[in-house]
Amino acid sequence: MESDTRRIALGLRQRDATVLETLVEQYQYRLVRYLVSLLGRRDGVDDLVQETWLRVLERGGSYDGRYRFEPWLFRVARNIALDTMRKRPMLSLDSNEGDGIRSSPASGEASPYTLAARTQDAERLADALQTLEPVYREALVLRFEEDLSLQEISVIVGAPISTVASRIYRGLATLRPQLEGEPA
Amino acid sequence: MNLDDHENFQRMIDQSLAGAISAEKEQSLREHLFTCAPCKEYLGACNRVIAGLSGFSFEVNPTLNSRVFAALRLRAEQDRAARPRRRRFIRLYTVSPKVWAALAVALSMSVLGSAVLYQVAKYLMVPVHFDNAQVQEGVLVFWLLPSLCAAFCLLAAPVEKRGVA
Repeated sequence: MESDTRRIALGLRQRDATVLETLVEQYQYRLVRYLVSLLGRRDGVDDLVQETWLRVLERGGSYDGRYRFEPWLFRVARNIALDTMRKRPMLSLDSNEGDGIRSSPASGEASPYTLAARTQDAERLADALQTLEPVYREALVLRFEEDLSLQEISVIVGAPISTVASRIYRGLATLRPQLEGEPA
Repeated sequence: MNLDDHENFQRMIDQSLAGAISAEKEQSLREHLFTCAPCKEYLGACNRVIAGLSGFSFEVNPTLNSRVFAALRLRAEQDRAARPRRRRFIRLYTVSPKVWAALAVALSMSVLGSAVLYQVAKYLMVPVHFDNAQVQEGVLVFWLLPSLCAAFCLLAAPVEKRGVA
């Protein structure tokens, strides 16, 4: 694994187009999924994805390959999303938790979760996920979809591990009632 | 078992799922789950939520990758154009034929000039009793080497500073 990350780090430092294009193909879906979880909408995500890869091209030299690539990539994407939202107050990412995240789909637009649900349980979760605080949704996706550790998530979101853990607990607690009492 | 115990174990289930539990607590939780139906149910509900999270499949715009590749190539080209070129001592690819001609003339003049100067200096130095070796050293140090350096500096200089049309 470490040799992979070293190879990625070297490729990014040398601005190797082949390495970068391989990374785009490998991580594109996960990047889209993460940004949707962060923003709670689908529109504008493609622009952020493109901006993220351009930032990876520019700042790739700062990835040293000692840790997995995903947390570094998601952190870059998160910073770009927050910057963009700050510049466009209409799409504000305010937050009750103070790190600047709140989101919703544009009025009249279907929730990306409703559109993306492929199972019955997912359909039941879609509405609750859409109204869930983005920081909780983000923590759940990073933990259970991206399979990142608390330490890695805390680096991405810039919050203490205990805060990340409590976001996961609260996220699960909010979604659990949607499936309780329903046949599995 | 009272309600507090269940709450404690359910908190441990949350910690276990989040990856924030010690091995010791995990073991105790496993033992508890063998015998406690409510906690097992709680774990089942959590696992269904986690499985439910995997039940979403977002469509990625099929042109997104090519759009990103194009943007990356464009930015890389822009960066290359904007970045100052790395200095090399002699950048042969920027040397025009005129500069090569100027260099050839300069080198010829250096060598021929040195020969002429040597003959003149040898004649002039007779009254001060310099021998031939001293005259040769003088011509080498004060004429030939500086003129060769000047010729190579011309070649190595940035295009705009060569002063050769």
